[in-house]
Amino acid sequence: MSARETLTEETVMRVADDAANRTEQNAATRAADDTSGSGRSRRNTATAVHTAVHTAAHPAAHTARLLASEIGLTFRRPRNLAMLGVLAAVPVLIGVAVRIASRGDGGSLIGQVAGNGLVLTFAAFLVMLPLVLPLAVAVVAGDAVAGEAGQGTLRYLLVAPAGRTRLLAVKYADVVVFCLAACALVALSALAVGVALFPVGPVTLLSGTTVSAAEGLVRVGLVALYSAAGMAALGAVALAVSTLTEAAIGAVAASVVLVVVSQVLGAIPQIAVVRPFLLTSWWSSFDGLLRDPMATDEMGRGLLAFLAYIVIFGSIAWSRFTSKDITA
Amino acid sequence: MSKRARAVRWGVPVAAVAVVAAAVGTGPVIAAVQGDPSLPDRTAQQLLADMAGSWSSRKVPAMSGTVVETASLGLPALPGLSGGGASALSLLSGSHQLKVWYGDEDRVRLMLPGEMSETDLIVNGGQMWLWDSAANTATHFTGHPGAATGSPVPLPSAASPLPTALTPQHAAQEALRAAGGDTRITVADDVTVAGRAAYQVVLTPKTATSLVRDVRVAIDGETLIPLRVQVYAKGAAEPAFEVGFDSVTFSAPAPENFTFTPPAGAKVEEGRAPAAAGHEAGKVRDAADGTRIAGSGWDSVLVTSLPATDAKGGSGASAANGASGNGASGNGASANGASANGANPANLLDTALRSATRVSGPWGSGRLLRTKLLSVLLTDDGRLVAGAVTPEALYQAAGAAR
Repeated sequence: MSARETLTEETVMRVADDAANRTEQNAATRAADDTSGSGRSRRNTATAVHTAVHTAAHPAAHTARLLASEIGLTFRRPRNLAMLGVLAAVPVLIGVAVRIASRGDGGSLIGQVAGNGLVLTFAAFLVMLPLVLPLAVAVVAGDAVAGEAGQGTLRYLLVAPAGRTRLLAVKYADVVVFCLAACALVALSALAVGVALFPVGPVTLLSGTTVSAAEGLVRVGLVALYSAAGMAALGAVALAVSTLTEAAIGAVAASVVLVVVSQVLGAIPQIAVVRPFLLTSWWSSFDGLLRDPMATDEMGRGLLAFLAYIVIFGSIAWSRFTSKDITA
Repeated sequence: MSKRARAVRWGVPVAAVAVVAAAVGTGPVIAAVQGDPSLPDRTAQQLLADMAGSWSSRKVPAMSGTVVETASLGLPALPGLSGGGASALSLLSGSHQLKVWYGDEDRVRLMLPGEMSETDLIVNGGQMWLWDSAANTATHFTGHPGAATGSPVPLPSAASPLPTALTPQHAAQEALRAAGGDTRITVADDVTVAGRAAYQVVLTPKTATSLVRDVRVAIDGETLIPLRVQVYAKGAAEPAFEVGFDSVTFSAPAPENFTFTPPAGAKVEEGRAPAAAGHEAGKVRDAADGTRIAGSGWDSVLVTSLPATDAKGGSGASAANGASGNGASGNGASANGASANGANPANLLDTALRSATRVSGPWGSGRLLRTKLLSVLLTDDGRLVAGAVTPEALYQAAGAAR
């Protein structure tokens, strides 16, 4: 657990008039954490703080340390760890459910899991991409700026000469890393459960073609990467919302509502024309990896759609974050 | 920060939106700037003759591409028709994608992608496989369907859930076949389809009773392959039915597209070889169960007894055959869809009937279902009369059939 978290927990017990002191401590710790790196000794903390505040000699190195610090904070927060635990548990639940109720009808993707454990990874993404994964990403990205603002630590983060643009970039990079980690975790958990509970062998694609287990694994990896790209696009949206408010829960809720509403819109046949413009309708295109030949054109369009979302909402987040008054 | 600086910063997302919108709209804009392509002038007769020549010599080049089918037939909202499922019935509404690989007339693969499912039709030599991933079933056919139908693209006619009018070649052929003395054939401005300059042949029915305003066939300027077929209903600006290439490349597809081995664990069925469907348009056809075609050409009306219980039986199949000889590609697709095994046709009929209006006249009484392109009359004495014609023509056919 980081020094910052420890400090926060300690200060929870303090009385309210200690609040100003607490936030200053937080910021100081943050700067120290940021410059000394998580693995380093804190022997030269004082010098490091001094360096961080008064010079910006090595911007790239500074950004890297800031990013490492942010990633460390993200993956040490108990809330985020709990969410990752849930993400890892869902494939286990699917695997156990299929194992118990195994009839092996072989029809749907989930039905095929009983015959081949590798298919469980595809089934897990199919089940989790609509809501579970987006929820986890929305929590992390929606909290990124609004959480700091709400806690009162944002002001002190901006004391460092990193600049708002770089801070926002670091925040988004942190979100992208979380997306990659979440999708990798889902894939690995599903693989582990699939191998443990079911036989593993050559994978039958949707086209009826059978590929070797090794190529199946490659396709699993690509599915995870494509899903992570889709989640990163949602992360950009949630980050933009996060810069608009100081209530983290509001940013998270708004992002999840956006996901649900766009899925509802995508399901109405009368307004099918809007489907290509919705972020959510491209998530399920990872099934292109399960075809022979791979539907690269369709997935290429999906990746372009993700890129468009990242560009638009990233620039909205930047405009808002670099021009807003930081009052808290 | 000043108001001005703030405004400048907010200009960045506005610019980002503009860039994305421009990227999305680039295709149409470029097409609009370039204008219509110009190909060497050819009269309708020359075009038809050249096409007939290239078809009879069967010099269809190897190609692969994506075909997009869009149907807005004005059907009542039918449950189970929406979405991207691979069911043939779902082709009746909305937009669908089909991938085509064409090696030569003996090697063809059609792929209908659905969400997390896929339907494939693979023809290789005398072998034909129909693969349905959702049902995990591979159906094997032997024989030579291409030779049986006499079509440049060997498609099954009745046994397959993929409607016969799905490829532009076939649809164009059907439309042109229906053109007799009752059709005015003209050549309209050249168009660009799938990035290729194409001639546009317009078939306009001369009869007043037809619901079809015209059928537009775009023919590739270089290879004379039909690239797109659009069926316009009277009084509609958008095509009621459209099937055409979204992208196409004229190069030999990879050979593994044409090989199929049923995957382990799949159900393998031996299918009945598709019966050769007669394509004589306008001929009055008397089937064993009383199904026949009244009228000819655009006015063709299908008269049949209602499929009582066994909707997939003989009457359904012959209805499909009858309508595919009917000419209008919209008809071909819908009638074939109704006999396909994708969804339960009986349920569909029930749902459709609820939105039908009651009509009566000297011919009797019944319920009328009107769509942009198709009128269906279900008489109370259990007959089904359908065609791409006005209801009045249906009443006449129903009266004459008594």
